[in-house]
Amino acid sequence: MDRRPRLFSSRLTRTERRVYGAVTVFFLLAFLATIWPIQAAFGGALPFVLSLPFDLFYLAAILVGSFFILLGLFVWEGRREERRRPNGRADDADATRGGSA
Amino acid sequence: MPEWVVVFLVTCGYLVISLSVGLLSGRKTSSSTEGWVAGDRSLGFVVLYFIMGASIFSAFAFLGGPGWAYSRGAAAFYIIAYGTVGLVPWYFFGPRVARLGRRFGYVTQAELFAHRFRSPAISGVLAVISIVAFVPYLVLQMSGAGYVFEVLTRGHVPFWMGAALAYGVVLVYVFRSGVMGVGWTNTLQGIFMMGLAWGLGLYLPHKLYGGVGPMFERIMREAPRMLSAPGLGPDGSPWSWGAYSSAIAISVLGFSLWPHTFMKLYTARDERTLKRTVVFYPTFQIFLIPIMLIGFAGVLAFPGVKPADEILPTIVTSIGISPVMVGLFCAGALAASMSTGDALLHASASVAVKDFWMPLFQPDMPDRAERTAMRVLVVLIGALAYAFALFARKSLVALLLFGYGFIAQLAPLAFATFFWPRATKAGALSGLLAGFAVTVIWDLVPSLQWLGIRAGIYGVAANVILLAAVSLATAPPDEAHVAEFVVS
Repeated sequence: MDRRPRLFSSRLTRTERRVYGAVTVFFLLAFLATIWPIQAAFGGALPFVLSLPFDLFYLAAILVGSFFILLGLFVWEGRREERRRPNGRADDADATRGGSA
Repeated sequence: MPEWVVVFLVTCGYLVISLSVGLLSGRKTSSSTEGWVAGDRSLGFVVLYFIMGASIFSAFAFLGGPGWAYSRGAAAFYIIAYGTVGLVPWYFFGPRVARLGRRFGYVTQAELFAHRFRSPAISGVLAVISIVAFVPYLVLQMSGAGYVFEVLTRGHVPFWMGAALAYGVVLVYVFRSGVMGVGWTNTLQGIFMMGLAWGLGLYLPHKLYGGVGPMFERIMREAPRMLSAPGLGPDGSPWSWGAYSSAIAISVLGFSLWPHTFMKLYTARDERTLKRTVVFYPTFQIFLIPIMLIGFAGVLAFPGVKPADEILPTIVTSIGISPVMVGLFCAGALAASMSTGDALLHASASVAVKDFWMPLFQPDMPDRAERTAMRVLVVLIGALAYAFALFARKSLVALLLFGYGFIAQLAPLAFATFFWPRATKAGALSGLLAGFAVTVIWDLVPSLQWLGIRAGIYGVAANVILLAAVSLATAPPDEAHVAEFVVS
């Protein structure tokens, strides 16, 4: 039995693997950006942006960025499933299983 | 009519509406355990979205959040920080959980993990960890309800009575309607609390300072340390980056694994519904910004409020708004408390029966008896939490972080379940027990917490080491069985 963790399905295409890899890296970086030492570099109150202290705006921006990245992935997956359906290549369950990262 | 009576009547009106919605919503589900616990796996996007949002945002967010911003400034930002990525793991393993739930009939979190590792002991350990974490979390919600009633009626409705009123209502609709009662009341409560948070978050800075910008400019001039991360510690001295960062890390690890929210993965109608809920979750999370604004509004205008968790009700009763509005605020704050408390109460009873009693003592318990036992436990656990709320009140957020330390111990187990085929029963069990033990020891001996790093982080480290080492040292699990769970 394989001793290593398995993050991506072996059934993913190269493009799918890149997309899920990029999204995973984004969220890893988003998490790291909220803690020391990265957050410390953006931990000051000035300048105020949209009337908010910079450190609060910074976190709000990460939250909004996370929303759009995940929304983008969701839309991309939906289109991919639409493309697959007429060819009968994958049903919804398979597509989602393939997408598990 | 005295003002407090108006406040009380408006709040009672809200409680009656919540009770009606909670009771009516349970009529369409089956009378099986699956109906009571998982809503017959039929929930759509709107209800699931509000269950997730309102269950997560609680008295902790509504009272503890402003309390932290008020007393500890930028330290409160950690609450926003962990939510930025906290629920994202659901997008990736959530559909798999839902699919396995349908296939094997799971309704609780431990059923899945115990089946993956073929271990009733894991189920028992998880049940104990879950309930140990749930009780302080539930106490926190009841305390929030009690505080709100007591402060907003200026002591005419005491803490014990306020908590009893709100949770009497919760108890009835959870007992009668199970997860459907939780879901539809959460929808009502979620809309209410979001409206209130945005309304107050924008109104209070405007009323007290002339706007959000002027408020922060004044704080910057008079108390600049409040606005720079990582903010202040409990004693008013600067908080350490170790404490701030570890509070975020432990919360991120535990966020998607709280058993009462994890169980909701089984309730989704389909996988796209589930993913859509995760995608749109940040639209709920962003309401923490006005929650922070409320706390900051009190910093210069209402100095010296103690406990800090009472800052929001204190402001609301001090700025001369109509008692009807104060009553609506009271209802909104209760909504925040009840929408989490109901899910916790429902999950505690389900976990105690499905994950503790049945696997260890009565695996073939009839469905009808299961449901009856869960209902009885709803009452007993509610009474226990109420007793703690009356006799062991602590700072709301401190209680929550205590719970997160335990729940974070599920993160290595979840990773091993879905992504590491080599993980074995012995590895999973030893990792869990080590993580739990180290967290307890480090919590009880604060001097062990180097740089203020939270106890749960040490627990997770011990957990990962034991899980990996013991798994590799023991015989690999059956490959065909593991393939059902792990990414293939």
